[in-house]
Amino acid sequence: MKFIDRHTDSWLLLPDSEIAGPAPHRLLTLAQWEAVRGAWRDDVPVGVLLPNTADVEALAADLPRIALIALEFPKWVDGRAYSQAHVLRARLRYAGEVRAVGEVVVDMMPLLQRSGFDAVVLREGERQSSAERALGFFPAGHYQGDVLQPNPLFARKAA
Amino acid sequence: MYQYTEFDRQFVRARAAQFRDQLERNLAGELSDDDFRPLRLQNGWYIQRHAPMTRIAIPYGELASRQLRQLAKVATELDRGYLHFTTRTNAQFNWIPLPRAADAMDMLAEADMHGIQTSGNCIRNITTDVFAGIAPDEIVDPRPYCELLRQWSTLHPEFAFLPRKFKIAVSGALEDRAAIAWHDIGLQLVKNAAGEVGFKVLVGGGMGRTPVIAAVATEFLPWNQIMVYIEAIVRVYNRFGRRDNAYKARIKILVKAEGQKFFDQVNEEFRKILADDVGGSAHIIPQAEFDRVAAFFKRPEKVHPAIGGFDPNRTGAAPVPFLRWLDRNVHAHQVEGYRAVTLSLKRPGQAPGDVTSAQMEAAATMADRYSLGELRVSHDQNLMLPWVREADLRAVWHAAQDAGFATPNIGLLTDMIACPGGDLCALANARSLPIAAAITEQFDDLDALLDLGDIDLHISGCMNSCGHHHTGHIGILGIDKDGDEWYQVSVGGSDGSTLSGASVPAKIIGPSFAAEEVPAVIQALIDTFRTQRAANERFVDTARRIGIAPFRQATDAVRRETAVAA
Repeated sequence: MKFIDRHTDSWLLLPDSEIAGPAPHRLLTLAQWEAVRGAWRDDVPVGVLLPNTADVEALAADLPRIALIALEFPKWVDGRAYSQAHVLRARLRYAGEVRAVGEVVVDMMPLLQRSGFDAVVLREGERQSSAERALGFFPAGHYQGDVLQPNPLFARKAA
Repeated sequence: MYQYTEFDRQFVRARAAQFRDQLERNLAGELSDDDFRPLRLQNGWYIQRHAPMTRIAIPYGELASRQLRQLAKVATELDRGYLHFTTRTNAQFNWIPLPRAADAMDMLAEADMHGIQTSGNCIRNITTDVFAGIAPDEIVDPRPYCELLRQWSTLHPEFAFLPRKFKIAVSGALEDRAAIAWHDIGLQLVKNAAGEVGFKVLVGGGMGRTPVIAAVATEFLPWNQIMVYIEAIVRVYNRFGRRDNAYKARIKILVKAEGQKFFDQVNEEFRKILADDVGGSAHIIPQAEFDRVAAFFKRPEKVHPAIGGFDPNRTGAAPVPFLRWLDRNVHAHQVEGYRAVTLSLKRPGQAPGDVTSAQMEAAATMADRYSLGELRVSHDQNLMLPWVREADLRAVWHAAQDAGFATPNIGLLTDMIACPGGDLCALANARSLPIAAAITEQFDDLDALLDLGDIDLHISGCMNSCGHHHTGHIGILGIDKDGDEWYQVSVGGSDGSTLSGASVPAKIIGPSFAAEEVPAVIQALIDTFRTQRAANERFVDTARRIGIAPFRQATDAVRRETAVAA
């Protein structure tokens, strides 16, 4: 899991008026992306910030051009983005960065990692050391498959 | 019974260690109470009126005597010496101080127990037929499927923060003893014309403020696809279920609102998981895995059918109390020469579903001596011994009497379901225990009770419906009006059993009553039934036949503090 320092993060979220043309390390809202996607050059990596109500499958055709997808947790107990991440990875084979933003807290770490997130911006005040520890409580794995380990326990034992 | 593997054991210990870390961060001030709340809930820890309440999972109601002894030990060492069994066949402690919470979880882990997903907006403990594996009318033993689904749903990374709680019940018999139509997902095991096993899948049932009977999603799903199908249902729910209003967040509201569109979405999602998803088809259960799990639930080797029948009067006339107990608390069995015995947890002086540490020890000893060390927790809050030899029935009856388990009232008015209510639960609007106690005292004449026949009386202290008031032949719901306790009374509900008829919520008979009026109200309902009853008719049948008007009239006549509605 990559822990993003919000102060040194290179991805930039800008107001609509400042989105002119393709530029590196732009994090666009879904609306911004939809407005510029036709003009965006394939060789300029772009990030897209999705609300947790977005249908990620609708973005399937664009995925090869998107380097980063940021999924939002408006409240940390709102679990919709876990399903978005799962579908991005397991169904759409998305290989770019999937980043958790918004209210991201220490104890979400194992769920995020297993659902396909590989980067997080922790909520202000959360301790990275606690978040790293939270990733280590189940070294022998889990029962059901997930994005990291697609096979459930019974299929792993058989292998 | 299922036996923990080394994986299961280390998993529960890992969960206990994770919880200890969370608790310590909370006590140290790093993790706020607000953020700790959903975490402790998913481990079964509520903050209650007097102390935390903790709910321990008893997966599909199966309990080993050594586990019951460990619960007794926790009750003695960390609580006030008693335990409460719930309608989801879980166990609850009420007095363990929060700083001892991690110690309690460690003690429970020693006996392969935990509180994982006994609360919170996640997939809860799966329930089934209390007679699973021993019922004469069984089509397929549901327990291996319950265990497979327990494993699949445990710490599922995608479904830990759903819009609301999510409950699954499984039935494998002709008779539905698990009230499956009242669950978010209800699974009925069936066999098709070719003799293949599958599930009839129901979705969108639930109690609460808006009682809804589940709708059929599919009439026959091959058994090995069940994890995938449930994944599809829960993913659609996670995505589209309402999160703006907790009272409208259960899947029943989504199913009602979307109708066929919901089922179309589920079927499309199911198709995509199998066709496209990495790991999707890996969750189709292989026969070898099913066989491995099912082996735990094979009939115990020590069970030997005994022929010759059972005659309680073989050695002279049996005492009438014994015959009554046989009639009410002893049930038919798959194996000739065996019976299932309910240990009634409904008796004067103790709350429905409560047991003391001494009673837990006694029940564990009875299980060891007469039931191969196995017990069940029933959804109507009793314990059950599944492997009693007919030859031991007289001895079991004596032991049950000694421990206070022999009240011959199973299925009768005093075998009521009641949540802990406002005495203990912070969610409750009103107390349920004094109401339960008053009714138990009032109807203490066994002859009269037997004469009334089967009556399901269900009491909930609030709309969360832990006491299943919607499914009672008589339902009582505690409500709060300006800080006072009031009780709404309804009649004619059904859990979906043959006796009670098709699942239906009970009908409210009129404006709510004051606490003091409730015993007289119940008496008036019973008197009305007596007057109107056709020969040998059951209460619920009379209620359906005559409607609520006569009950309303009779109960209005006993109002003292509340005004009769215009």
